[in-house]
Amino acid sequence: MKVKIALAGNPNSGKTTLFNALTGSNQFVGNWPGVTVEKKEGRLKGHSDKADEAVLVDLPGIYSLSPYTLEEVVSRNFLIGERPDAVINIIDGTNLERNLYLTTQLTELGIPVIVAINMMDLVRKNGEMLNVERLSKDIGCKVVEISALKGEGIEQLAERAVALARSGKKTVPAHSFDGCVEHAIAHIEEAISGHVDKSMERWYAIKLFERDAKVQESLKLDAELLAHIEEDIVSCEQEMDDDSESIITGERYNYIGSMIEDCYTKRVRQQMSVSDKIDRVVTNRFLALPIFAVVMYIVYYVSVTTVGAFLTDWTNDTLFGEWILPGAQSALEQIGCSDWMVGLLVDGIVSGVGAVLGFVPQMLVLFAFLAFLESCGYMARIAFIMDRIFRKFGLSGKSFIPMLIGTGCGVPGIMASRTIENDRDRKMTIMTTTFIPCGAKLPIIALIAGALFDGAPWVAPSAYFVGIAAIICSGIMLKKTKLFAGDPAPFVMELPAYHMPTVENVLRSMWERGWSFIKKAGTIILVSTIFVWFAQSFGIEDGSFCMVEDMNNSILAGIGSAVAWIFTPLGWGDWKAAVAAITGLVAKENVVGTFGILYGFGEVAEDGAEVWGSLAGSMSAVAAYSFLVFNLLCAPCFAAMGAIMREMNNIRWFWYAIGYQTGLAYVVSLCIYQVGTLLTAGTFGIGTIAAFVLIACFIYLLVRPHKESQDLTVVRSVQGKLSA
Amino acid sequence: MNQIRKVGGKEETRRFLESLGFVAGGFVTVISEINGNLIVNVKESRVAIDKEMAAKIMV
Repeated sequence: MKVKIALAGNPNSGKTTLFNALTGSNQFVGNWPGVTVEKKEGRLKGHSDKADEAVLVDLPGIYSLSPYTLEEVVSRNFLIGERPDAVINIIDGTNLERNLYLTTQLTELGIPVIVAINMMDLVRKNGEMLNVERLSKDIGCKVVEISALKGEGIEQLAERAVALARSGKKTVPAHSFDGCVEHAIAHIEEAISGHVDKSMERWYAIKLFERDAKVQESLKLDAELLAHIEEDIVSCEQEMDDDSESIITGERYNYIGSMIEDCYTKRVRQQMSVSDKIDRVVTNRFLALPIFAVVMYIVYYVSVTTVGAFLTDWTNDTLFGEWILPGAQSALEQIGCSDWMVGLLVDGIVSGVGAVLGFVPQMLVLFAFLAFLESCGYMARIAFIMDRIFRKFGLSGKSFIPMLIGTGCGVPGIMASRTIENDRDRKMTIMTTTFIPCGAKLPIIALIAGALFDGAPWVAPSAYFVGIAAIICSGIMLKKTKLFAGDPAPFVMELPAYHMPTVENVLRSMWERGWSFIKKAGTIILVSTIFVWFAQSFGIEDGSFCMVEDMNNSILAGIGSAVAWIFTPLGWGDWKAAVAAITGLVAKENVVGTFGILYGFGEVAEDGAEVWGSLAGSMSAVAAYSFLVFNLLCAPCFAAMGAIMREMNNIRWFWYAIGYQTGLAYVVSLCIYQVGTLLTAGTFGIGTIAAFVLIACFIYLLVRPHKESQDLTVVRSVQGKLSA
Repeated sequence: MNQIRKVGGKEETRRFLESLGFVAGGFVTVISEINGNLIVNVKESRVAIDKEMAAKIMV
């Protein structure tokens, strides 16, 4: 019999660690709440045969079954809608009271539940004692002590969970509420009997008692019945002198309090834990920002300038430049390949893909740093530190984590936006995250800086500055539009305890993100380099379709020329630049590679040093900067667009985002080029007037008076559909 | 250490605060403060909350 077991628990309680240990898979484990934003499935080790297959589903962390964040919606819909055969409720043993709050709700679902107390090694080390048998009696289900990290007790847990799922023995909650609450709930149960599954009557009754809007909606009860239920609730509220939701919450915590007294022996706590002491310093009101700046400086200095640059140079110059490329060329010539075949393989594929792969070492170093910051617990603090600042332009501190991750790659950055509860903040974060130059945009920056600005040191920082300015201005402008009316979401976030990340975990995360990048190079970039090579090598010459001598006759030149006029006002109406920008949509790394192919240099270094001369000949410095800014701000690569589509979960919003990004990029580049040429060459024309009009509009949008809406209703994009 | 008297605010935010452990009768300790945003200890866990939210937790 195939069974499905769900893994549920508070954020950061060790679910993913346990999931990895039980299934042998290697998901990344972070030390900030919200690492798991989607449910993941895996087969339980030792239960992979068809006959006794057991599937484990890792749910995102939740604090309760009243959905507040998107993750909670995902988890709740799964538990209620898909009804797993059993639930493993994982609990952080060092924080029993808060974790048991969810447990009291899970046991009401009418699904077999088994409780796993995690981090028992830490609990024992702290000199605390837990009487598991009593706790099991108090909760009403089996309790197993484990340490997911050390692998203690997890086999026993797995066996018990599978046995429980097979037995189908539904857990009956051991806790009960105050007499008058129970009375009201019994009435409601009676009223809805027949409308819902028998085993879930109690859960639905409690939710209706709490006036959970989504449950009310999903049950489609008639008005009379609802009014009847409302009577019961109101009479209970009067008796308890509190609103129904608070009554239930209070009752739960009361019961938990008595449970803990019954089975937990606490040592007298020392005043401050190590994490508290670190937080005193790291989040200190004066030291927080300087410390953060130093940390970020070290991360980027090491990964971009020193170690990363060294590794990347070696890959490009030695590995590809000296070994692979000439090696491939001579090998192919020796076996007598035709010219066009050698051209395709060497100039097209090897150099195009090579230019991208050369970038991998640098990204790996950056990913390793980000993984370290994530899993040690500092990343969560950054959100707290940045909140006040981000609040000023309509975002919350949580928007900072996606942007920070976005410096590596926009795709995980956009996905990380899911931990932001407020719909408006989340959408705004998704729209603006890719303005920050991601790893793949660095080669473009290096190319422009090297070719047109003689490697001037201000170009690269200015790219980040442009990105940050775009985010700030967008925040200010967008929050004044109707689409984004309302206050930014309140900021509440659990901060995990600091801990030393395991080497394995950091490397795993680094590799996972790096690998997805390499895969991209092997698939989508491979295909597009073949296309670019083909399109630029073939065309119509002397009235027939053949391999062209003069690239201006190629198919690619045709396509480029057809669209190049769009970019003429931006200063780079040359078909080559237009084609480069378009291939940048496939993957930003392509821009440099495309220039390499178009100027006929085959393999180019990561920063395209070979094409500097040709590029400088075809563009002015102002035009090149406008080209750079356009590529930084416009719609990101296809992979990131896919992520935007997934996260917006709405085709209209997806086009808003893409349209806004591209529109902003166009306007900003236009202004840079037109004003730039006016200042440097004194050219004045229609374009210049257009630029000044646009600048005026831009300033108006930034400073126009704006009244924050007073009554904020938190709207969600994903309506949690409950299927009973 | 402060004892919470009451948790106010909109239903949705209050529900969330309560599931995090901010319930009347519970204890909170302030660890750190930046411009009114707080890091507090509640029920053995550390929670960062902003000024506006903190104002809804009466101690």
